[in-house]
Amino acid sequence: MVEDASGLIMIGAGIAVGITGLGAGLAERDVGAAAVGAITEDVSLFGKVMILMVLPETIVIFGLVVAILGIFVM
Amino acid sequence: MLMSESMSRIVIVGNKSRLDEAINALYSLDAVHLIDHTNGADEGFAIGASRPYSPKASERLLKVKAAEKELGINPKKTKSEPISVKDIDVQISSDGIESVEAEILSVIEEKNRIAQNVSDLKAKEASLKLLCKLPINIELYRGYESIAVFVGSVKSDPTEVLSAFTNAETFISFHKKEQGVVAVFVKKADKEKISTALSDYGYTEIAVPEGAGNPSELLATTVAEISVEEAALEEMNAKIKSLSEKHESFLVASDEELSLTVKKGETPLRIATSEFSYVVDAWVPTARVAEVEKGLSASLGNSVYVELQENRGRNLKEEEEAEGRFKKTPTKSNNGNYGKHFEYPTSLVSVPKYQEVDPSTIIGVFLPFFFGFMVGDVGYAIPFIILGAYGLKVAKSKEFQGIATVLFFGGIWAFIFGMFFFGEMLGMHFITDGELAAEIAAGTNTTVTWEYLLNIKLPEWFCGIIPGEAGVSKLHAVTFLLKVSVYMGIVHLLLAYVVGFFNVKMQHGVKAAMFEKGGWIFTFIGMVVVCYAMTELLFTTPMPAVEGELLYTFVIGFVLLITGIALCWKTEKAQAILELPGIVGNILSYTRLAAIGMSKAGMALAFNYISIIMIGAGIGGMMGVIAGFPVFLIGHLMIWVLAILSAGLHGLRLQYVEMMNKFFVGGGQEYDPLTVKRKHTKIVETEV
Repeated sequence: MVEDASGLIMIGAGIAVGITGLGAGLAERDVGAAAVGAITEDVSLFGKVMILMVLPETIVIFGLVVAILGIFVM
Repeated sequence: MLMSESMSRIVIVGNKSRLDEAINALYSLDAVHLIDHTNGADEGFAIGASRPYSPKASERLLKVKAAEKELGINPKKTKSEPISVKDIDVQISSDGIESVEAEILSVIEEKNRIAQNVSDLKAKEASLKLLCKLPINIELYRGYESIAVFVGSVKSDPTEVLSAFTNAETFISFHKKEQGVVAVFVKKADKEKISTALSDYGYTEIAVPEGAGNPSELLATTVAEISVEEAALEEMNAKIKSLSEKHESFLVASDEELSLTVKKGETPLRIATSEFSYVVDAWVPTARVAEVEKGLSASLGNSVYVELQENRGRNLKEEEEAEGRFKKTPTKSNNGNYGKHFEYPTSLVSVPKYQEVDPSTIIGVFLPFFFGFMVGDVGYAIPFIILGAYGLKVAKSKEFQGIATVLFFGGIWAFIFGMFFFGEMLGMHFITDGELAAEIAAGTNTTVTWEYLLNIKLPEWFCGIIPGEAGVSKLHAVTFLLKVSVYMGIVHLLLAYVVGFFNVKMQHGVKAAMFEKGGWIFTFIGMVVVCYAMTELLFTTPMPAVEGELLYTFVIGFVLLITGIALCWKTEKAQAILELPGIVGNILSYTRLAAIGMSKAGMALAFNYISIIMIGAGIGGMMGVIAGFPVFLIGHLMIWVLAILSAGLHGLRLQYVEMMNKFFVGGGQEYDPLTVKRKHTKIVETEV
C-alpha cells in the first residue's frame, strides 16, 4: 500500500457516509411526510408508520460501516 | 409468559324475566368478553332491546354532562370522596339531577345576561371616548329632518377635502398618535358627496349612544356602570365556583353511576333474545370458566344455564373451522410483572393475535439492554434512573409510563455498561492506566480522565472492576465494539427466527414450521458462518490460504446455507436467494449500537475539551470557571437529551424492524370484559 493512501481512505470514508446520508435523507423525506399525514388521521398507526419511517436509515448505516472498515481495517 | 392466556367459549342461557340480575352478575364477574350477536345467526332469536330504564338514564346523563361542562368539572381529574351507590341512586331517582340543573341554569343565565351588559357598556364607552374629542352634546347628533349627520373615526386628516363643502358644518379632531374623529352636518342633498369624500380617509361610523348632555359626563356615568356590572359578574363567577364545589362530588358520582346504568341497560343490544329467554355467547379465560359458572348460579340460581362450548387451541385450523362470529379469539396478555411494562411498545404496532407469541417480554429484555449499551456512561445513567423512577411513580398515561419504563431499566443497563464495561463518566474514563499516563505526560494524548482531572488515585478494588486497564474506549476500540454489536445482533435475530418457528409450529404444526421458518434458521446460521469465514479471509494480511480450520468453517457455512435455501425453496421459491443480502443487512443494522455510542462519546469529548481548556489553560482563574462550567453543563445536558431520542428510538427500531418483522403478525382483538370500574362511587357492603 502506498504511504500516502491514508488521505485517500479518509476521503473515501467521507464520501461513503456523506452520500449514503443524502440517500437516506431523500428517502426519509418522502416517507416522513406521508407518515405525519397518516398519524394525523389515525394516531394508532404510529408503530406501523415508524417501521416504514426508519427503513431507509439502514442505507446510512451501511455507509458508516464501510467508512469505519476503511479507516480502521485497511 | 410469552403467550396470551388461553380462552374458552361459553354460552349462557337464562330466563328473560331475570335479565337485569343476569346483566348485573355478568358485569360484577369482570371476566366475560361478550361476542356480539348478529341477527339471523340463530333461528328464533333476535338482538335484544335496551332495558326500560335506559332512556331515562341517558337523558339524565346528558344533563349531568352539560352541568359538568358549564361548571368546568372534569370527572377524570376530579378527586372526591366516593359516595355510596345507594345514596347516589336515591338522589338520582328523587330528581336530584333536575334540581341541580335548575339551580345551575338560573345562575348561568344571570351570568350570561350580565356579561352581555358589560360588553354593551364597553362598546358604549369606546364610542363616548371618541365623541369626547368633539365639542358637541350627544342629543345634537340626532333629530334632524333635512340634515344628514356623519359621525365616525378616520385614519387620516380630512380637513382639506371637507373645507371644500362650504354649506357643511364640520368638526374634526385629529392628532397623529390618536384616532381621528369627525362629525359632519350637511343637507341631505349632499349626503352622497360627503360619503364618497370621507370613504377615502378610512371613515368608520360610530354608533352614537342614547341619552343627552356632555359626552364626557356620560362617559363618567358609563364607566361607573361598568364597574358595577363587573363587580356583579365577579360575584356570579364566585357563585358558579361555589356551586361547582358544592355539586362536584354529586355530579361526578352520578356521571359514573349513570354511565354504568346506560352501559348495562344497552347490553341486551349485544345478545340474543327470544320471547322468554336470552342467550349470551362469550369468551372467558379458561382458568376462570368454573368461577364464572359458580358466580352466575350463585346470583341467579336455577334460572341460568352455563355450558362450555370449546377450549380454543392455538392451531389456526380451529379458527378456520369455527363459525364466523366465533373465529377471532380475544387476546388477554399475560406478561408477568416485568413484561407488562413493555406491552405499550407492542401495542403501538398491533395487538398480538391469540395464536402467536406476545413480543412484550422479549422487547423488555432487549430494549433497555440496547439503550444501556448505546448510552454506556455512568454520568448519564444516574439521571436516567432517577427520571425513570420518578416517571413510573407519577406518570398516569400509558405513553409516559412506557417512556419512564425504558428510561429506568435502560438507565440501569447504562450504569452497568458505564461502570463495568466502558469505565466512563460524562465521556471521561475513571482511570489513567500506565500507557495513557505516559502519553498524557508526554503530551501526545489529549484524553482526560477523572483521576487526572481531580488529581486523585482511585482505590485498587475500583480499578479491578473495570475491564482492561481503563475500560473500553468508545472512540479507540471501534472495531471491537462493532464486533460486539454484530454479535448482539446475531443473538437477537436468531431469537426472532426461533420465535417465528415456534409461532408457525403452534399454528400449523412442525412440518409447516420447518419449511416456513426452519429453513430461515439454517440459512441465517449458514450466512453468519460464511460471513465470519469471509472476514477472516479478507481482513487478515497477508491473505491466508483456504485450508484447515478456515476451510472447515466455509464448508459448514455453505452446507447450512444450502440446506436452508433448499428448505425455504418450497415456500419462497427464488425469493429465498433474493433475501440473502437482506440477512447481512439486518445484521449490519446492529452496528448502530456502536455507532451511536461513538457519536455520543465524540460529542462528550468535544465539550469536555472545550470546557477544560477554558477553565484550565485558556482563560484561567475565576473567569475561566465562570465561562467554562456552563459550557460543560449545557453540552452534557444536550447529549443527555439527544440520548433519549437517538438511543431510545434506535433501540425501539431494532425491535420493530429487525426482530418483530421476523415473526409478529398482529391484528388480534383485545380482551375487553364486561366490568364495573368505580372511582367516584362505592358499594358499601352492609347495603348489598
